[in-house]
Amino acid sequence: MKLAFYSLTSCEGCLTTLITKLGPDIEGLWNNFDIDYFKLVREPVGGSRFPKADIAFVEGAVVTNLDREHLQEIRKNSRFVVAIGTCASSGNIAYTASRNVKLGKKALSVLEVREAEPLSSVIAVDFELNGCPVNADEFIDALLRLVNGLEPIQPDFSVCYECKLSGNACLLDKGQLCLGPIAMGGCDAACTSVGSPCFGCRGPYIEADLEAYFKTLEKKGLKVEDAKPLLYMFMGKKIKEVLKE
Amino acid sequence: MSDSIIIDTGDLRFIEGHGQLIVKSYGGKLRAEFHNLEGPRFLTKYLKGKPVDLAPRVASRICGLCYTVHSISSAEAVERALDMKISEDVRKLRDVLYMANNLRSHLIHLLFLSIPPVEGLISALRMRDLNIVRMGANILSKATELIEVWGGRSVHVPNVIVGGFGKAIKCKELLHPIHQLAALSDDAERLVKYTLKLELPEMERYRLLVALKRSGSYPIYAEEANVALSDGSVLSSSEYYEGLEEVTKDYSTSKHVYFKESEITVGALSRIMLNKRYLSSRARELAEEIEWGPNPFLNIKAQAIEVLHYLDELIRLGGELAEIPPENLKTEDIKAHRDKGVGLFVAEAPRGTLCHYCEIEDWKIKDYRVYTPTAINSKSIENDAIELVKRFKPLGSQKLRFILEDMVRSYDPCLSCAVSLDIYE
Repeated sequence: MKLAFYSLTSCEGCLTTLITKLGPDIEGLWNNFDIDYFKLVREPVGGSRFPKADIAFVEGAVVTNLDREHLQEIRKNSRFVVAIGTCASSGNIAYTASRNVKLGKKALSVLEVREAEPLSSVIAVDFELNGCPVNADEFIDALLRLVNGLEPIQPDFSVCYECKLSGNACLLDKGQLCLGPIAMGGCDAACTSVGSPCFGCRGPYIEADLEAYFKTLEKKGLKVEDAKPLLYMFMGKKIKEVLKE
Repeated sequence: MSDSIIIDTGDLRFIEGHGQLIVKSYGGKLRAEFHNLEGPRFLTKYLKGKPVDLAPRVASRICGLCYTVHSISSAEAVERALDMKISEDVRKLRDVLYMANNLRSHLIHLLFLSIPPVEGLISALRMRDLNIVRMGANILSKATELIEVWGGRSVHVPNVIVGGFGKAIKCKELLHPIHQLAALSDDAERLVKYTLKLELPEMERYRLLVALKRSGSYPIYAEEANVALSDGSVLSSSEYYEGLEEVTKDYSTSKHVYFKESEITVGALSRIMLNKRYLSSRARELAEEIEWGPNPFLNIKAQAIEVLHYLDELIRLGGELAEIPPENLKTEDIKAHRDKGVGLFVAEAPRGTLCHYCEIEDWKIKDYRVYTPTAINSKSIENDAIELVKRFKPLGSQKLRFILEDMVRSYDPCLSCAVSLDIYE
């Protein structure tokens, strides 16, 4: 089976997460699959052209014309495309940040920069692995499912669920804004477990009820308008769709 | 007169991000262009008008390899602006995180990105002695585990916040991963010796080298860090910062950064050349076997020496951590003495000297600037490319291309970092 790992505009933190999580097991991945493209690990097969792949994992947002062209080429050459990380699935911080800048004033001779978009704005995406960065265990789980002909699954619970399991005190109760109730879990409540609020880097979870969340905030004496910028920090296009703004 | 392209590397292989190096002849004169083709994410732009506590979280996203030096530098810059005093013990804990991240970054670069192409291989996993890769990958994953225990996650750690950390880590918890790393100390030495034996092109070219300097210790970041130049001058952080200037290039999403109109080079090689007497004894001994000079290819050997140094430092810090009483590690008591101010923090990131600068008003960020090592080194990459073409052109374009690519990689450029300098102001 042929795998390919690509990056568009990003910090490459998702791909390095996979490399360090695998550690010496990267050899197992290398021995069991044909990895024809993974710029951090090997010289690409086929020179400047993108190789055919059964599963392509793509990190990063679409910001430049090159990102767009590469992504379309990747789609053409791959049977199954998995978006990995928040940039690829919602556009991440860049989604909102790039909309607050006047673009195109100073054009570069080699590149065209546009507003940041997640992969799904440009191509059909088969599956999304969320998180900034991606959770390596979820990646391994999704890969094993795909290899066995099963559809990968998304966590269907909020960050609050795992936060409670970890035994943390509720930050909303302490008067701190936290997106835990509406954000997709699967991160083991990494942020709230060290006392930081959840910023929803994994996007809204499937049953996220924003109206109910806003009411909860009001009940706890927190302001809805203070929560809005947080919603737009990582959730980018995903929250725009939910809020229909 | 028209340009004729002498060499075009195409999409650079084994590199973080997307870039390309082109050397042209313009009326008989050589001109190099180092293209950063990674798109901007407007992170510093995003921070303007946002509450100060978002700074380290957003800054972390600048880079997926050296994220903690960005988040720590960001927190420290804000702390300076607000006159918040961090205890020595908290800083010691930040040092642990910093060293572990540098170890991770250097190992990824050496093992996967720079050694294989130097040896003419298509991948680290094709190395003749696979044990070297296994050992390296093992140290890499243990260093990452240490980051995870400290930071709450392996990448973009949420535990670095303005004022210290979100959750006080029990120092004892950190000892386990540090002991695991200590057990791999001999493996690390083998990997380092392997790297030091690599045959590299000889190409010395004079330029000013720059690194932090504090007498008595190998620089990472320091409360009162000074910046040393290889011409012997020493500057305060703010003098250094004020000397930096950005130049926009229409072929790159990153600006080039000069110091007082001249090219400077930062990174492991600069650090070793300016500070090698402060390395751990084992690292110093190995460093003395190498003839150091302003040859960019030597940077990977300098990184290898640092791998050993950081590991030794972690082991030493581990010993000190066991002594820190938990009551010293509270963050709630740290108070901001004002709600506005200006903060500057200079640190040694894996790839070289990094500056974070912020202006704060009414707890909100008014201005935020980042000067990354890759943006600083871009000019040196171009000048080295010209020099290499002059010296190695008779080898033919195929070989020349490989040498040029090896040269770019030896700087360990991080194109995602460099592009975070917003080009649209």
